[in-house]
Amino acid sequence: MPFNQKLQKFNAKINTVTIGSGDKTVTIGGDSTFPFYTFDAPSENTPKIGVEISDMGLENVVSEGIKAYYEGASTIGEMAKKAAAMEGADFVALILEGGDPNGVNKSVDELIAVVKEVADAIDAPLVVEGCKNVEKDAELLPKVAEALQGRNVLILSEKEENYKAIGAAAGLAYDQIVGAESAVDINLAKQLNVVTTQLGVNPQKIVMNIGSAAAGYGYEYVVSTMDRIKGAALSQNDNMLQMPIITPVSAETWGVKEATASEADMPEWGPEEERGIDMEVMTAAADLAAGSDAVILRHPEAVAAVSRLIKALA
Amino acid sequence: MALNGIQIFKLTPKKNCKECGCPTCMAFSMKVAQGAMKIEQCPHMSDEAIASLSEATAPPMKTIKIGTGDGEFTLGGETVLFRHEKTFVSKPRYAVALCTCMDDATVDAKLAEIPKVDYDRIGERMYAELIYVNCSEGADAAKYTALVEKAAGLGRTLVLGCTDPEIAKAALAVCKDSKPVLNGANASNYEAMNAVATEAGVVLGVSGKDLNELYDTTAALEKLGNKNLVLDTTGADIKETFANTVQVRRAALKDQDRTFGYPSIVNLVKIAKGDLHLQAALAAMFTMKYGSIIVMEQMTYAEALPLYGLRQNVFTDPQKPMKVEPGIYPLNGADENSLVVTTVDFALTYFVVSGELERSGVPLNLVINDAGGLSVLTSWAAGKFSGNSISTYIKENVEPKVKCRKLVIPGKVAVLKGDLEAKLPGWEIIVGPREAVQLVKFLKDMQAQGQI
Amino acid sequence: MTLFESVFAGNDAVYGLTEGAINQAIEQYGADKAVSFPDTAYALPCYYAVTGVKVTTLAELKEALGVVKTLMTREKRTHDVFMSGVATALCAEFIEVLKYIDGAAPYEEPCYGHLADAVIRELGVPLVTGDIPGVAVILGKAKDAEEAAALVKSYQAQGILVTLVGDIIDQLAEVGYKTGANVRVIPLGKDVTAVIHVVSVALRAALIFGNVKPGDAATLMEYTMKRVPAFVNAFAPLNDVIVACGAGAIALGFPVITNQADVARVPKSLICQTDVSKWNATSLEARDIKIKITNIDIPVAFASAFEGEIIRRKDMRVEFDGSRVDCAELVHTCDASEVEDHKITVVGPEVDEMADGSKNSIAYVVKVAGKNMQPDFEPVIERKFHNYINCIEGVYHTGQRDMQRIRISHAAFDAGFRIKHIGEVLYAQVKNEFDAVVDKCEVVIYTDPAECTRIRHEVAIPIFEKRDDRLANLTDESVDVYYSCILCQAFSPSHVCVVTPERLGLCGAVSWLDAKATNELDPNGPCQVITKERPIDENLGAYEDVDEAVKKFSQGALEHVTLYSIMQDPMTSCGCFECICGIEPFSNGVVIANREYAGMTPLGMTFSEMASMTGGGVQTPGFMGHGKHFIASKKFMKAEGGIERIVWMPKELKDFIADRLNASAKDLYGIDNFTDMIGDETIATDPETLVTFLTEKGHPALGLDPMM
Repeated sequence: MPFNQKLQKFNAKINTVTIGSGDKTVTIGGDSTFPFYTFDAPSENTPKIGVEISDMGLENVVSEGIKAYYEGASTIGEMAKKAAAMEGADFVALILEGGDPNGVNKSVDELIAVVKEVADAIDAPLVVEGCKNVEKDAELLPKVAEALQGRNVLILSEKEENYKAIGAAAGLAYDQIVGAESAVDINLAKQLNVVTTQLGVNPQKIVMNIGSAAAGYGYEYVVSTMDRIKGAALSQNDNMLQMPIITPVSAETWGVKEATASEADMPEWGPEEERGIDMEVMTAAADLAAGSDAVILRHPEAVAAVSRLIKALA
Repeated sequence: MALNGIQIFKLTPKKNCKECGCPTCMAFSMKVAQGAMKIEQCPHMSDEAIASLSEATAPPMKTIKIGTGDGEFTLGGETVLFRHEKTFVSKPRYAVALCTCMDDATVDAKLAEIPKVDYDRIGERMYAELIYVNCSEGADAAKYTALVEKAAGLGRTLVLGCTDPEIAKAALAVCKDSKPVLNGANASNYEAMNAVATEAGVVLGVSGKDLNELYDTTAALEKLGNKNLVLDTTGADIKETFANTVQVRRAALKDQDRTFGYPSIVNLVKIAKGDLHLQAALAAMFTMKYGSIIVMEQMTYAEALPLYGLRQNVFTDPQKPMKVEPGIYPLNGADENSLVVTTVDFALTYFVVSGELERSGVPLNLVINDAGGLSVLTSWAAGKFSGNSISTYIKENVEPKVKCRKLVIPGKVAVLKGDLEAKLPGWEIIVGPREAVQLVKFLKDMQAQGQI
Repeated sequence: MTLFESVFAGNDAVYGLTEGAINQAIEQYGADKAVSFPDTAYALPCYYAVTGVKVTTLAELKEALGVVKTLMTREKRTHDVFMSGVATALCAEFIEVLKYIDGAAPYEEPCYGHLADAVIRELGVPLVTGDIPGVAVILGKAKDAEEAAALVKSYQAQGILVTLVGDIIDQLAEVGYKTGANVRVIPLGKDVTAVIHVVSVALRAALIFGNVKPGDAATLMEYTMKRVPAFVNAFAPLNDVIVACGAGAIALGFPVITNQADVARVPKSLICQTDVSKWNATSLEARDIKIKITNIDIPVAFASAFEGEIIRRKDMRVEFDGSRVDCAELVHTCDASEVEDHKITVVGPEVDEMADGSKNSIAYVVKVAGKNMQPDFEPVIERKFHNYINCIEGVYHTGQRDMQRIRISHAAFDAGFRIKHIGEVLYAQVKNEFDAVVDKCEVVIYTDPAECTRIRHEVAIPIFEKRDDRLANLTDESVDVYYSCILCQAFSPSHVCVVTPERLGLCGAVSWLDAKATNELDPNGPCQVITKERPIDENLGAYEDVDEAVKKFSQGALEHVTLYSIMQDPMTSCGCFECICGIEPFSNGVVIANREYAGMTPLGMTFSEMASMTGGGVQTPGFMGHGKHFIASKKFMKAEGGIERIVWMPKELKDFIADRLNASAKDLYGIDNFTDMIGDETIATDPETLVTFLTEKGHPALGLDPMM
């Protein structure tokens, strides 16, 4: 008696969202199965990988491999070109960490100049990440949306505290894609989608960042939130949870001590470069297994490895 | 459909004899319903009752034990496909692969490398629990047995990858007492392999060229009376392996197909040989989705740190949060004169807070007391992170060791300030920020103002 | 003249002018001459928005005028008035666009005329976020320049965008008042037709931000009505043209406020307020604009970091103590006309006049009014006072109702803190946190001892008693809806609480009134309305509506839940239950254990063992988590016979709940001192001893049908 294979078919699917303009666009979402369950139904779009660069250049980068990759790039525009050309890269993600008022606190004008330089340098699809400070982002990201009119970029992120300013600017005034960020909780994610659409933003132009963590750092919440969101989107046909999910991985993984502690400090742990890469690779793989439709990474070897993983599973 | 406690209770003798170890039949029934006890543990249950109940209460996926002593591990026994539905119970175990195809130097280097990774993370020992010893084509019994013996010397539980019954028998002769897994049954050899495994009293691993063959072979082995199995779901490539592993688990748990109700073996060496980063990605993936034994080429700290952290997270009971040990954690080279900061023992809070504190570079003593493993506001609401609990801990454990008398408390419990001032005479109570991310600035501001 | 006649006359006059101007332009430039406004992708934006047709040449403009004419019906109905208003506005747009022929720049400093799309995109975002809470359109000529400046300044201070049309522009220039887009005071133009430039902003905002399809006039007007918080202030004297324009504004949902005494008033739309100094308040109320308070005007800090501060006797300047003298704190719902927003009155002595270290009376009444305000929210708001007052640096608050105690420190007093500042804090916080229900708020603080006695005994206590009565009489049957609560889903994903008046959330913290208020204040939040229109079995408390809600909010994990049974589809628990009850088969009853009780129960299970199988959103028939107060509810496992099934609970819990449980038992079964029949850990922790005890006491559960 052969195995009675039962397929899990859903009459619902994740929204497809296309980022970028012109010839170079990238499309995420569209599947009606759990991640990589191609045996249930063919996949419409494989998950995509973004390469993250920062307005701070290489200043906060510890990895020698990342530094080596960008060697010779003297401006942010040149870095962006290299990022776009990285093997396995589908899009470029520019993080404006220098805007953080508790950090370097760059002015909005200064950051907009960086955004424009990057946008002018590349034609690859672009994701712009704010500085994470909700007040500053409320001021900064609308300007980013304005500066990049016509590029159809993904703006990360609006949060519950500033969704009106960023949602209205990115989603309504300047017709970009809105990234809705919540803190690893299905109900918060849904609530943000609800209020964002109530603002008038087209649900087909929303991508979620449901929150992330490095492996080992409360990652169980990430798994369960994604599992539940995908479950509700597919089996309950909940259209306020059918937005594709993007997960910025590198911002989390390159900050934990497993990745940053030097070999001098932790001799038994071995070279930090390898630790950093594997932390990024494994967290990204877990995100993809749980339901991310796109991940944002930094290290060229991590990007290549995750790209091989996606290709192998597609 | 599983029975609930009340339905089970109706079939018990209702004598409260306590012979099963439970105070009442009700308590026993509830434990059986939860899967914590077996119906057979009731000495007074009628045969008909046991017969009708054992089928209904049998878990959809068998629990398989491998190894002995410290090296004994429980695989399988899962009841849900997603951890939020209840909880995952048996962690995947990682095996480092050795092979007869390796030269001696490589084997020795591997064996020397494996024990290096052995550390504690939130009360759990992290190390490669298993060694997979592969018998490649053309190797003879002597060569394989020698390798098995050598591997056994490390004291880790073994998984023997061997499809030749004779060679397997020879290898088991030297290691069967430590209860290894014999991974080698397939459609063409299962009868002989079954005899070898049964005789040695070890778990048998089954594989097949596709899911149908795997299913048939497993069914045939069950027919021979062997239900001490694991299923090698490794396929020809990565895609097939993932599909196999997911479908086997889903068939067992969702569709109640008991033939696939066994733990799995996923051999990454076969599908991603030589590509260590890809193996790392796959190890994370199969940790999330349904690998029970995951075989890898190596387990250095680079793989271990993220992987074990991931496993610890994914296999946490959703209702029992991870806790860190109470104590004084000096950070950034703190001494007895350094500032005292406190938060709760909820592991996630601890990690986030200690990470930010480390980032600040300010030397300080992070004091953790027992707050029930809850977040700041939850433990405060439950009365477990209160003026009393904090002050008692500080008086008993901190005052004898630390001279500094400045205590920073989380901004979310600013309400404790007055109470703590009253209960900790001589201490200055400082209300910290509400969110951990604000700590770096907060501490730097304190430094700038000369407060520390 | 009636309003109809006025509007129609004004409309006819403008139409005539427009027709003449277009004909003259065609004569001068030829019919193919291009017409357009600069820097817009929306052609003639108003005409395009209303009709979906883009006008680009004089010929098309003439054609469009024909379409406008069809709007100008002359029946004496409101519809005709509104449409004539719209027609007037469109004519104004035509007249204005003619000024721009050949790339002319008809407006010069300080006037703006037409506003570019980019300006709208930029203004649109703060309009959506509420950073620009409203748009004022001021038209005509004030009594004098001072009056003009004062009015504009009052809006500017609130962040409201001000647009100006007519002589007021010159009046402001006269006193050197700074205008410009950067200070959000925009002079449009001196002709009345210039008003179309702000209408154009509103309509383009609907196209850009509201995704309204050009030509979909109904949706367009709904959008401007709901989303564009504009209003018109028109100085007397009004002529027919202005009145006709005003009709257009009203059609878009923008109320018109004027000081023309003899104007025909239309409630909420055409309002006469002869006192121009009150235009601000009148306009805001008419347009339902709420101003966010970002800064509380007090001389000390206000932050949650001060919440835990304790003011000791030696540091205290004065104290108010409800346990010794008459005090009270109260929220009182009033009619909007009875409340003057942001008025703070102190009746009695200030702190300066009180002896250092003295004990005094205080009573504060926070009068609130709002379209969505309900007296049921009063205690919800009141409960926050403790938190508000405690967050003031140097001020300390405990207790509630008429038992509060407040201390003000020397340091706060020396910094200038006074009683009236308590009013400022209460005002600001109530307005900010309860803006969904509170439109206006006024605070009266009594420190006069006689007044405090009066407020306490004649006002506050009767209200408290009335509220308690309402709570006591609130039954599941007496309400139309229940509420879901999913606050706990973060750690118990599939759990949904159904909160009813007689069954509070199992955490003990969310009552039906709390859930109702939460829903009202945050409509997308954790508490949602559950109707109860389709009962399946009223005895079990099974409703199709409840099942649907539970299924939806648990993402399909739960299909059926009953409200009153612990045997059939009992309500699930997250894990934060105060108590768990479990079936005790030997006595046909149930045992209840509370979280604090660590010992053994006659079930052979401890609280934590019971908790391990009851939590996590799973249904375990025979076991259920609940709040302490639910024990005395008449709905407690009503389907299985109710509270007479209770056979055991820990002594501490029994004592805590005794009065109310005994009262319910008396009401339901006529049993006196029911708790005397209930076992506890001092009597039995095993079923056999318990049954012996129950038999001795004649506990009613023994005579009931078995529960399974």
